Amino acid sequence: MVMTPSESDALGANPQKELQFPVEKPQVTSDLSNNVILTTINDLYSWAKMSSVWPLLYGTSCCFIEFAAMIGSRFDFDRFGLLPRSSPRQADLIITAGTVTMKMAPALVKLYQQMPEPKYVIAMGACTITGGMFSTDSYTTVRGVDKLIPVDVYIPGCPPRPEAIMDAIIKLRKKMSAEDMRELGNKMPTHRYYSVPHELKPVPEILTGEYLEAATRQAPPPELAAMYGIEVPEAIKSAQPEKLAQEAGQ
Amino acid sequence: MSETTDVAVQDGGESLDRGPVSQFLSENGFEHEFLGRDHRNVEMISLSREVLPIIAKLIYGMGYNYLQCQCGYDLGPGKDLVSTYHLTKLSDRAERPEELRIKVFVPRDDPRVPSMYWIWKTADWQERETYDMYGIIYEGHPNLKRILMPEDWVGWPMRKDYVTPDFYELQDAY
Repeated sequence: MVMTPSESDALGANPQKELQFPVEKPQVTSDLSNNVILTTINDLYSWAKMSSVWPLLYGTSCCFIEFAAMIGSRFDFDRFGLLPRSSPRQADLIITAGTVTMKMAPALVKLYQQMPEPKYVIAMGACTITGGMFSTDSYTTVRGVDKLIPVDVYIPGCPPRPEAIMDAIIKLRKKMSAEDMRELGNKMPTHRYYSVPHELKPVPEILTGEYLEAATRQAPPPELAAMYGIEVPEAIKSAQPEKLAQEAGQ
Repeated sequence: MSETTDVAVQDGGESLDRGPVSQFLSENGFEHEFLGRDHRNVEMISLSREVLPIIAKLIYGMGYNYLQCQCGYDLGPGKDLVSTYHLTKLSDRAERPEELRIKVFVPRDDPRVPSMYWIWKTADWQERETYDMYGIIYEGHPNLKRILMPEDWVGWPMRKDYVTPDFYELQDAY
């Protein structure tokens, strides 16, 4: 179809054809609607982002068992575009599955800081929300990972079922789709509760394979050796008949 | 158990049902204290830390070749710390092997115990954990440092008089 008919057509046998509303389907509109998508760059960006949320393979205790079930074929979270990554540099999402202790806290913060923006956190399970059953009388459990890193979605449960993780992923996707690209730069946290300055210093190697060959493991210190040494052979000799007698007695 | 009764009478008649190890130690004049038997009928003896190495080696010679568990506990604020050793005899086709529990009571202000690493190698990490949690110092241990807590942690968390530090991370979540 031609939008502006030529003069010969216009002067043709059928002047009705010049009508503004022709009988045929307008071809152009149909072509356009099949081939062209109108959207905003913001929606396109959100769509791409929320369809490939790569979580970090991170788990510190029992919650990770449920998280691992989520990775498997039965619950299958690949269908959300979640591919577990073993490096924080490739991850968009960290699901803190399991209790976080004071000893683990610096490592968790460092992992979070190594993830590229935009990054998201799901706090999974009671331990990472409030400390859970360790929230009283524990000398080392961090009472909620939100004291360390900003959390987007909380999943309650001890541990939560894989369906709960699925629900959390869907809620996180909703949150991601509502974000505006123009605010990307403003997402950097202004107030951090905890931070580790990355002033790494080289330290001596500890995994040298010489653990069992350490000099302290070769022989007891002289004082202790002297304590062991006194008349032990005789004692063992005298112990043997006793042992035999006991065994005979039974 | 007539034999046991005889020994107990010689020893002052304090107990009528001494275990074989306690009986043997009494016969040979080794200083120890019989603590009775627990609910599973496991013999328990108490040793002072001065005689622990030599008697431990002797007990090893009696066939207690397996240190099943080494652990510590605290008798209470201001009271002694205890290092315990649960021993058994590991052998082929063992059925109800004899067990023995040794307790070493040490004063809180001077908690030193000789390391058993050189007799039972299992003691290595278990003594490190007891050191980590109770601050009992195992003399002669090859690598005595904290095993579970961060290496710069101050204090001994499982002691009864331990006061949890007021770190921000440890404060209650609301």
